[in-house]
Amino acid sequence: MPSKYIVGRVGMFFLTIFLASTLVFFLPRLSGRDPFREKLFEEAQRGGYLEDVDEIAAALNEKYGFDRPLWQQYVVYLSEIARFDLGTSQFTFSKSNNQLLAETLGWTIGLTFVSAMVAFFIGTGMGAIMEWRRQNTGLLAAMAPFLMMSAVPYFIFGLVLLTVFWFSWLQAFDWELFPPYGAYDPTVEEWPNWSDFRFLGSALWHATLPALSIVLVSLGGWAMGMRGMMVTTKGEDYMLQAEAKGLPDNVRFYRYAIRNSLLPQLTGLALQIGLIVSGVVLVEIVFTYPGVGGLLVQSIRNSDYPLIQGIVFVLAFCTAVTTLLLDMIYPMIDPRISYSGN
Amino acid sequence: MSNATDTVTGPEPMMAEPSSFESIYRERLVPMGRYLRRNKLMVGGLSILGVIVLLVIIGHLFYQQDDRKGNPQGVSELVYAASVPPRLKPSWNPWGEYPLGTDEQGRDILAHVLIGTPKTFRIGAIAAAIGIGVGLILAFVGAYVGGWADLIIRLLVDSLIPIPGLLVLILIATSLNPGQGLTENQLAFAIAVLAWPGPARVIRSQVLVMRERGYVTMAQMSGTSALGIIFKEMMPNLAPYLLASYVAALTGAMLATIGVETLGLGDIDAPTLGAMLYWIIFTNALLKAQWWWLIPPIVVIVALFVGLFMISAGLDEVANPRLRRRV
Repeated sequence: MPSKYIVGRVGMFFLTIFLASTLVFFLPRLSGRDPFREKLFEEAQRGGYLEDVDEIAAALNEKYGFDRPLWQQYVVYLSEIARFDLGTSQFTFSKSNNQLLAETLGWTIGLTFVSAMVAFFIGTGMGAIMEWRRQNTGLLAAMAPFLMMSAVPYFIFGLVLLTVFWFSWLQAFDWELFPPYGAYDPTVEEWPNWSDFRFLGSALWHATLPALSIVLVSLGGWAMGMRGMMVTTKGEDYMLQAEAKGLPDNVRFYRYAIRNSLLPQLTGLALQIGLIVSGVVLVEIVFTYPGVGGLLVQSIRNSDYPLIQGIVFVLAFCTAVTTLLLDMIYPMIDPRISYSGN
Repeated sequence: MSNATDTVTGPEPMMAEPSSFESIYRERLVPMGRYLRRNKLMVGGLSILGVIVLLVIIGHLFYQQDDRKGNPQGVSELVYAASVPPRLKPSWNPWGEYPLGTDEQGRDILAHVLIGTPKTFRIGAIAAAIGIGVGLILAFVGAYVGGWADLIIRLLVDSLIPIPGLLVLILIATSLNPGQGLTENQLAFAIAVLAWPGPARVIRSQVLVMRERGYVTMAQMSGTSALGIIFKEMMPNLAPYLLASYVAALTGAMLATIGVETLGLGDIDAPTLGAMLYWIIFTNALLKAQWWWLIPPIVVIVALFVGLFMISAGLDEVANPRLRRRV
C-alpha cells in the first residue's frame, strides 16, 4: 500500500476523533449549567434542608477544574483524552468512567461485531447467489420479507421479536423460548465466568434475540446491495471471457464475480458502522443488555455529564477505528485501486 | 426528461392553451398514472402512508371521549385523554369506552397514538427539510466555489459521517434542555443539525456530474449566470434526487426522534410515539403482560417505516434506474 493512501486515511481518522472529542467537550458546556449545584439543590430539596449549597458546589467545581477558563479546561481535556483518561463520573463516586466502561463495553462490542458480521456475510452471500442463479425466482420471493424488515429500526424490530418469541410463546405454551432480558442467567452466583461452558451457552442464549433483531434487519440491505453489484459485474467483458475460456461455474462465481462485487459492499459497511452502533445502543435498552446502552440511560437519568461524554467519546472512537480498519482492508482486497486518496 | 422535449418543441405549449386544467391532466397526470402503474413499490408505499393519514384524520374527527370531568377549557378532548396526570386505570377491554385500552399511567392508548403519529411525523419532516436545505447549499457551494471551501466541506462531511448520530443527539439533548427533555421544535432542530452531511455528499456528486453535461455548457455559452444555471438548468434535473434524499432524510430523522424519545430525552410527558415507547420499556410493560399497550405504537411505527422505505425504493428507480438501494 502506498504511504500516501495510509497517511490520508489515518489523517481522516484523527480528524474524526478530534471532531468527536471537541463536540463531546463543547456541546454540554453550551448550556452554561452547573450540574453539581443542580444536583445538590435537588438533594437538598429532597431532604428539606438547604445550606451552603453554593459553597459546596464551588468546592466541587474547583476540585474537578470546572472553575477554570474554558480553553484551559479544553487543553486539559484533550490531554486526558489522548491518554484515554475519560475522567470521573460525577455521581458514581466509587468508580472511574474507565472502569464503568470497561465493565460494559465488552458486551456491546461483542454483540455489535458478531451480529454485524453475520448479517454482512449472510446477506452478501444471499445477494450473490440470488443474482447468479437468476432463473431460481424462489430465492427472490424468499428475500421479500427480509427487504421489508430492513426498513424497520433495529430496536423496534427487537420489540417485535420480544413480543413474538418471548411473550406470545410464554402465553401460548407456558414456556420461555428465549430469555427476554439480561446477558446471562443472573441466578448463578459465580457468573460471569468465561471458562465455564454453561456460562457461554447462557450468554449466547441471552444474546440470541438482541442479535437477531440486528441480523434480520440488516440482511435485506446487504443482499440487495450485493445483487445490484453482481448485475453490473456479470455484464463485464472479463466474465464473458472467463466463460469462453471454459472456467467452471464455481470458479467464475467465487474468484471472478464475488471478488469484483465485494468492494462497494465494504464501503457500505464502513459508512454504516455509525448507524449500527446507534442502533445497538437502543437494542441494548430494549433487552436490558448489560452493555453501554444501559449505562448511557443511567447516566442520562442522573445527568452525569462526564459519564455521558465518556460513553459518547468511546463509542465514536470505536466507530472511527472500525472505519479505519475497513479502509485499510479495502486496498488489500482490490489491488487495482489507485491510492490517490479520493 | 421532459426538459429536452420542451426545448425541442418550443412554441407548442402556447398553442395548447385553451383549458389549462385539461392540458395539465393530459400532459402530467396521465403519464404519471401510467408510470405509477409500473412502479408498484411507490404505489404500495404511498398507499400505506395514505391509510395511516386517513386513519389519523378519521380518528381526530370521530374519536371522542366521554370523560369530561376536570377537562380544562381550551384543551381538545383527544389531547386531554392522552395527557399525563393519570386519570384512568390500566385496562384492556376492546368493547369498552377505550377501544385500545389504557396504559399504566391511565392514558387512553388510541388517543395517544392518534396524537403521537402526526407529531412524530412532523418532527421528522421539519428536521429533514432543514437538513436537505443546508446540504443543498453546501453541495452547491462546494461544487461551484471549489478550492478551500470544497475541501473543508468534504472533510467535514467525511469526518462527521462515521460519528454515530444518535450519540451527538444525546449530547445536544442533555445540554439544550436538561431535566425536562427537548420540546418538539428543539428536537427537530437538533436532528437537523445532524441531517445535512448525507444529502450534502449525494447532491454534491450529482452537481459535479451535471456541471459537465451538454445543456449546462450550452447555457454557460449563451451567457446564463451561475445562479441562473443552478436554478433553471440544474434544479429541475436534481428534483428526483432531492426527493429521494428527502425521503431518506425523513426516515433517518424519524428514527432519530423515536430513538431520542425512547431514551427519555424528549418530553416524556408529551403524547409522542417515542415517549410511549419510553414508558413501555421503562415500566417493563411486556413483563407485566400489558401487550395491548405495546402493539399499537409498534404497528404504527413499522407501517410508517415500511411505507417510507417502499416510497424511497420507488423513487430510487426514478432517480437512477441502475442504482440498487442499499439500506
